[in-house]
Amino acid sequence: MCSCSGVPGSGKTMLARRIPSILPDLTFEEALEITKIHSVAGILSKQLPILTTRPFRAPHHTVTKSSLVGGGTVPKPGEISLAHFGVLYLDELTEFKKETLEVLRGPLEDRTITISRINATLTYPCNFMFVASMNPCPCGYYGSIEKECTCTPETIKKYMGKISGPLLDRIDMQIEVAPVKYQKLEQKQIAETSEKIKQRVDKARNIQLKRYEGQKIYSNSELTPKLIEIYCELDKSSQKIMKEAFQKLNFSARAYHRILKVARTIADLEEKEKIEVAHIAEAIQYRNLDRKYWK
Amino acid sequence: MLSIIKSMSLQGLEGYLVDVQVDVAAGMPNWGVVGLPDISVKEAKERVRTAIKNSGYEFPSRRIVINLAPADTRKEGSFYDLPIAIGILIDFGEIRKQSMTETVVIGELSLDGHINHVNGILPMCIEAKKLGIKKVILPKKDAEEAAIVDGLQVIGVESLQQVVAYLNQKEDIESTKTNIKNLFYQKQKYPLDFAEVKGQENIKRALEIAAARFA
Repeated sequence: MCSCSGVPGSGKTMLARRIPSILPDLTFEEALEITKIHSVAGILSKQLPILTTRPFRAPHHTVTKSSLVGGGTVPKPGEISLAHFGVLYLDELTEFKKETLEVLRGPLEDRTITISRINATLTYPCNFMFVASMNPCPCGYYGSIEKECTCTPETIKKYMGKISGPLLDRIDMQIEVAPVKYQKLEQKQIAETSEKIKQRVDKARNIQLKRYEGQKIYSNSELTPKLIEIYCELDKSSQKIMKEAFQKLNFSARAYHRILKVARTIADLEEKEKIEVAHIAEAIQYRNLDRKYWK
Repeated sequence: MLSIIKSMSLQGLEGYLVDVQVDVAAGMPNWGVVGLPDISVKEAKERVRTAIKNSGYEFPSRRIVINLAPADTRKEGSFYDLPIAIGILIDFGEIRKQSMTETVVIGELSLDGHINHVNGILPMCIEAKKLGIKKVILPKKDAEEAAIVDGLQVIGVESLQQVVAYLNQKEDIESTKTNIKNLFYQKQKYPLDFAEVKGQENIKRALEIAAARFA
């Protein structure tokens, strides 16, 4: 789960659309499961009878509760189920109706959604990666170096108030997207390909799979508090940083655990056995919104 | 006279077997559908009657009763047009009587007798295979999707006339086959690439971390 906030035109959507290119390849069984969902919803492409890449769903912010989680007299799968094994991207998160966003809380934890109607009670899977983007404030320039923000503190507060604390707390990584500098746009050299990034991702995931053999979990995101104690041990200096950050930035217990899980993942990407100071510092840095808005 | 054609329905992501029982008898011309049909199923009457006429078959005035068993679950969708039409045409004597206990028929009819695409073919065919069904007759447009299920004879049809000719053994239709695993492993490349995004290395880094912990 991750959210990007940034000034207009900084490339939030462009980046989000490319996330499936660095996720691990679908297995045939996973592909069959999501093809079933897309078949029932009637959105399977006519050229290819099976989905071969992870889905990317980006419903517009006018989406209703029932088309987001599923519904109808005989309930049909909603956007969160269509994003199963893929990415659900909510652009302009603050424009969504508050009660629409709140229905996501349960499915984000359970990874399934059960819908009850008079005619049927149905359960659909919804294990998706939740990605959201938003502007930092109504005018879009709060915190920007280039342009001055014209919003009052009250409007910013109201704007951010559309996202409830519990939902925000479930977002592990909050990133600020800076505008692209002109020199970068002019550069001819090609950036790193998705293929290369994916190789590192695959490696990190294999490390996790190996480590959690026999634990009934597959990745760092599934770590329970008890397992965190075993696998996310911190040394003295890391503990010190964590303690300072926790006190200064007023983290919740949930945020604390999430930071440790992210730090564990960073260590895995670097193929390190123990979490080091740099890893924990980077993980803390991804709790951007806590720092910016809830001082 | 009674004929029973097997068809499928959907409950969420699971298919289940539905017996379409068609009884045509002498008596007051009437047409009733029972077995908890919703509006789209009740409307099948009009589509089927017109499609049969427009395909060039007689539609004599008879008393027709259709039951969709199991009768206690609500039926939705237009999957039953084709099995109903086949049942009626068997009773009318246009299709010769035959055993269809190992065949499933799914399809929506258009008024000119063409057979239209329906949703949810894959889960229905997976369940049909589990239940020991050997053959499915379904819209040609959906044949590739059904062929994903290994070991089913998939007969894709385009019009009611073609189905009648096939069941009367006047026309042979080759079963659709796809090498789905080959196709699947060939097309796994995602069309977009991070190389197209200039700068923003810190975001890419964060997304890489997010990807590495995705379950």
